[in-house]
Amino acid sequence: MKRSKRFEILEQREVNKDGFVKEWPEVGLMAMNGPNDPRPSIKIENGNVVELDGKNRNDFDMIDIFIADYAINLDKALEVMQKDSTELAKMIVNVDVPREEIIKLTTAMTPAKIVDVVEKMNVVEMMMALQKMRARKTPSNQCHVTNLKDNPVQIAADAAEAALRGFDEMETTVAVARYAPLNALALLTGAQVGRAGILTQCAVEEATELELGMRGLTCYAETVSVYGTESVFVDGDDTPWSKGFLASAYASRGLKMRFTSGTGSEVLMGYAEGKSMLYLEARCIYITRGAGVQGLQNGSISCIGVPGSVPSGIRAVLAENLITTMLDMEVASGNDQTFSHSPMRRTARTLMQMLPGTDFIFSGYSAVPNYDNMFAGSNFDAEDFDDYNIIQRDLKVDGGLKPVSEKEIVNIRNKAAKAIQAVFKGLGLPKITDEEVESATYAHGSKDMPERDMVEDIKAAGEMMKTGVTGIDVVKALYENGFEDISERVLNMLKQRVSGDYLHTSSILDSEFNVISAVNDCNDYMGPGTGYRLSEKRWSEIKDIPNAKSPEDFE
Amino acid sequence: MNNEMIEEIVKEVMMSMSEKTDERVKIKSNDKKINNDIDPKKDYPLATKKPELVRTPTDKKLEEITLNGVLEGKINAKDVRIAPETLEIQAQVAEGVGRNAFAENLRRASELISIPDDRILAIYNALRPNRSTKSELLEIADELKNDYNAVINSNFVKEAAEVYEKRDMLRKE
Amino acid sequence: MAVNEKIIEEIVNEVLKSLNSNVDNSSNFNQKKNDFTGSINFEDMGEAKKGTRKDEVVIGVAPAFGIYQNKTINNLSHDKVLRELIAGIEEEGLIARIVRVERTSDVAFIGLDAAKLSGSGIGIGLQSKGTIVIHQKDLFPLSNLELFPQAPVITLDIYRAIGKNAAKYAKGESPNPVFTINDQMARPKYQALAALLHIKETEHVNKNSKTQEIKFQL
Repeated sequence: MKRSKRFEILEQREVNKDGFVKEWPEVGLMAMNGPNDPRPSIKIENGNVVELDGKNRNDFDMIDIFIADYAINLDKALEVMQKDSTELAKMIVNVDVPREEIIKLTTAMTPAKIVDVVEKMNVVEMMMALQKMRARKTPSNQCHVTNLKDNPVQIAADAAEAALRGFDEMETTVAVARYAPLNALALLTGAQVGRAGILTQCAVEEATELELGMRGLTCYAETVSVYGTESVFVDGDDTPWSKGFLASAYASRGLKMRFTSGTGSEVLMGYAEGKSMLYLEARCIYITRGAGVQGLQNGSISCIGVPGSVPSGIRAVLAENLITTMLDMEVASGNDQTFSHSPMRRTARTLMQMLPGTDFIFSGYSAVPNYDNMFAGSNFDAEDFDDYNIIQRDLKVDGGLKPVSEKEIVNIRNKAAKAIQAVFKGLGLPKITDEEVESATYAHGSKDMPERDMVEDIKAAGEMMKTGVTGIDVVKALYENGFEDISERVLNMLKQRVSGDYLHTSSILDSEFNVISAVNDCNDYMGPGTGYRLSEKRWSEIKDIPNAKSPEDFE
Repeated sequence: MNNEMIEEIVKEVMMSMSEKTDERVKIKSNDKKINNDIDPKKDYPLATKKPELVRTPTDKKLEEITLNGVLEGKINAKDVRIAPETLEIQAQVAEGVGRNAFAENLRRASELISIPDDRILAIYNALRPNRSTKSELLEIADELKNDYNAVINSNFVKEAAEVYEKRDMLRKE
Repeated sequence: MAVNEKIIEEIVNEVLKSLNSNVDNSSNFNQKKNDFTGSINFEDMGEAKKGTRKDEVVIGVAPAFGIYQNKTINNLSHDKVLRELIAGIEEEGLIARIVRVERTSDVAFIGLDAAKLSGSGIGIGLQSKGTIVIHQKDLFPLSNLELFPQAPVITLDIYRAIGKNAAKYAKGESPNPVFTINDQMARPKYQALAALLHIKETEHVNKNSKTQEIKFQL
């Protein structure tokens, strides 16, 4: 066939490098409205759920049991289940019905019912609903800080910069698993240099992650995964009971935590039981609620290529974020993994959360270039900072970030690199040279950093775990090596776990260590003039980009 | 005051255990008599609004956790931990804003405070699928109840043992 | 993308170098390489037994491997992949034994099952789509010695290097991990396809089935 020149051009477009598949409902390769999804139902006898979404109690799998016994507010269940789903969807979108009224209804729904309700909405209605249902009034943002070589000086400098740019939470992970304590230490130190009160975490294997938290080297945890079918949950080497126990273990040490799940994980792991991705994700959200966890990271997360390849998949991702808020939990709403080759698709996908605002719009904006992102790349990275800032400015939307000057960034990176140099010295870890400090100050990514002796670092990391170094030792090391101010900040982070205020739903800390959460900063959105509005101060920050010209520039 | 609360809770738990055949434990959320004192609107965050209610498990006040204290060796890692009484107050804050499931998690957590880190990790691993036999899980349940007075957790583990048996997730020898 | 191509080139060069330095290693597979016809021939040998030889590495393949599926997501034929793994193991002077794990299609559990059957305690788990893990018998299932989650970027040379590293662990050495390529765009391009292939694999799982010893003939 003679080729059309236009089709030849179109073929070359970035979007056509993405993978797309046709729906295959029998195995669950379908975003939502699956033909095999159960119909909503509930039967209660003597306070016990004996039927849930068409299944008899005798046929319950472990997830059904957990949801039936822990996750649904039975007092209102019968009443809500009788209501028409379209009517309920309208109430949720309706600005005149306050969030707290909606929560009473949504927390009494079964998983199939809540899915049926959100399926009645288009994406604009879902965004309207998300704006109202988000637990914390003030939206926020989280970033990833990692690099290919687990270079701790670079982690500290990147964390400090990310803090100045506006991220309230930061997550690191490892290229080499044994580096975990050093990465956690570098992130904690660098973040506190950037701004007092930043929450940090290190995503590693469940047991190690808990240990780092107990030690005071991290401030919270997030990588605690749950799944929507029994087989996949077991392949993930956990159950709702082991994860529920883990959740309590964190709280017993005064540590904030959230679970993680996302559409597509079950079908990707081969056991979707013929159910749609959104229905299975709804089960995950209920498990999280049943375990009594304050919040959830979802929005497909590392499986985004799966919903991203089927029709209405990105709508389903928005729907799962929304359901999380409808069950009164914090949502860290994804956008944290490479999703498309196409910049247009990337942006359209992120606007779903950025415009309504969520507790954390990204659960990992890559604050480093994507080649250094050890979560296999994020939807936006350090090279997109200016684009993101200008989208905020164009639309007058608070996406959590702000423009910064080169000078302040260079200064803060330098201070963070020196601070981690001091900590390493104080704790007897392998020396950080002045050359490394200088490189980290001006670096974009790990390609700009000198090599470190990784074998020595890994050995030291092992020693550090063995000898039981804690956050208190970090406080001392900072103080004794000339960083009194940062020392005080790290101590204040440790102090958070004594009062436990930040265990509550959607907590972040301001720069005076005041907790801002869905207890003292409740979302009261009820249409224009209510809910979160940009303050004049915040708007000035957003609009003041360094490359905007004024008339005086031309005199 | 706080001890009283805990006592009451334990009593409740015991009661609900004896009246329920499947031994599932639920703190009755409607039963508000134990939390008349805490008002989330007025008392939260505790660190700034009610610091006098917060003590470390080593019985230090929040204001005693200072940089000088650390440098003089008066404050160590054991002092920057949460106490059961504080978690109970936070559970009441959670209930005050309608988050009962979250409050239950905090109460489970308050029972775990006295269990050493290593043991916590080991119990978590034992609860993973196909790791334990039924009797091993029941032994853990007994340990939780007898050694740590962790009644809610003990029942939680017992319940897991039942479910794992039913769903074929116990370790095969 | 240019970066990744460069990395691949570097790795290929590295691997070739290490291969050349091993020419005196008499691997059967090196000799047979040229007259290999490409058709796969598995013979079932009954239930797999725990090995006693300290010098073996057990390769556990997934339920559909070489039977219902015959190439990886990177379009490499299953026999070639197996051949490279075995060659890598033999280059270190060890022997490879192959089993088919049918109770699960999860790469971590397949790898762990293989490791538990292995006399050295080192096993490899290999899915039909090409995802591969080096496992050790006393680790948690979701821990591992080395995991290669991005099957679309695994080449035959990398499979050979993985076999070699597995053998080194079996000898009690601590080799440098095989360099993994991080292609951020593998997800948008391949993840849905990976789901398809994995579903097709999982259709052949039999939870009650015992692991089978298999003879791999060329």
